[in-house]
Amino acid sequence: MIATQCIVDAVRDLPTLPAAAMRLAELARDERSSSADFERAIRPDPALTANLLRIANSAYFGLRARVDSVRNAVTLLGLRRVSEMAAAAAFAQTLPARIPGYGMDAGQFWLHSVAVAVLAERLAVETQLPRPDSTFTAGLLHDVGKLAVAAFVSSSSADLFARVRAGAVLAEAEREVLGLDHAQVGELVASAWSLPPAVAAVARWHHTPDGLPLLEHRRLVDLVHAADALAHAMGLGADRGELARKVESGASERMGLRARALERVAGESLDAIRDMAALFAPSGGRR
Amino acid sequence: MSTLTVDISDLQVSAAPEDLIITYALGSCIAVMVHDPVRVAAGMIHYMLPLSETSPEKAKTRPAMFADTGIPLLFQTMYRLGCDKKNLVVKVTGGGALYDDKGFFSIGKRNYTILRKMFWKAGVIIAAEDVGGARSRTARLHVGTGRCTVSSQGEETEL
Repeated sequence: MIATQCIVDAVRDLPTLPAAAMRLAELARDERSSSADFERAIRPDPALTANLLRIANSAYFGLRARVDSVRNAVTLLGLRRVSEMAAAAAFAQTLPARIPGYGMDAGQFWLHSVAVAVLAERLAVETQLPRPDSTFTAGLLHDVGKLAVAAFVSSSSADLFARVRAGAVLAEAEREVLGLDHAQVGELVASAWSLPPAVAAVARWHHTPDGLPLLEHRRLVDLVHAADALAHAMGLGADRGELARKVESGASERMGLRARALERVAGESLDAIRDMAALFAPSGGRR
Repeated sequence: MSTLTVDISDLQVSAAPEDLIITYALGSCIAVMVHDPVRVAAGMIHYMLPLSETSPEKAKTRPAMFADTGIPLLFQTMYRLGCDKKNLVVKVTGGGALYDDKGFFSIGKRNYTILRKMFWKAGVIIAAEDVGGARSRTARLHVGTGRCTVSSQGEETEL
């Protein structure tokens, strides 16, 4: 078994998120932040500003008026929402071209990440309860642990996927072979990157929501758990072993989602997911 | 030779014998592959959901998203190419499933059930299939020969 310490070291060696992304993520969750703060954070990066305007003008938000400035975007979409989207766009630029081991390139990883973000938001609407804060970001970053663990998966892939073929779920096989699964590593990455506690909770518990110790992020973790399962069922960024996963019955029950609702959300989200993924595609790879 | 890629909720047909039709990442989605060895033409659909009634508006713009609107469209498109129903060799793959006790996420099973019903009613026989299981698949169909292969978790098999 690979020493768990090596994986922990790999987390430390991951490139840090760009300063702009960290600052924007902070603004998204700070109730005292102002649009002047936001403009100061985004102005030094013209590419990010351009991306943000493209996102704001996409069909996803369905705005009638055209957004032509950062200030305009903040007025029409709200500061928190705009900060969240800008942080997402900044994150896209940090992805490496390949995610080895899982057999994905950056484009597929990104497509899956965006799919989970969009589906989590749509499922929140479907359950007719308010959307938790940071739903999009938490959905987008649920698999960050894979970025650190991928190289180790790559060197043990024969053993790991033999276990998956024999009926093990992927996370379980990762624990058996590597000593840690990508969700546990995700929590370490979230902490190394100072991501919000809600995002860290989702990265840690998105495969096992029933194990979440705190009630605080329960709904968000359930939503991302379901969105992740649905994205893999739809084949969005499906990697080598991810269909081998368990949908926890506790999460389904708590959300009250039925088959028909899931199918409706899947059908009505496919185009939005593709548009959104293409809008701010990572530069490292392509699908 | 061209490679025609079938996206999720899309279909492709070809009568160029050197063409390859391919679809990636079949999770719970199903690929239906048809080949006419007499006309030498082939087609593939990659549908995502069983019934168009869940999103009737979507079905108008993307009929290949649903089994009940997409599969008839695939066959009609083949007939328009000059294919004959009695010559068509039909193969099916995909329909994977997550481990889900409640079955709410069993889209793959529902996709397969509706397909069987439709084929039974229309008198279509499935020549070969590889469906179900917690596996994602990639399917390839060679237009000239009708050869089908399915790759999953690093292994490729003939269908």
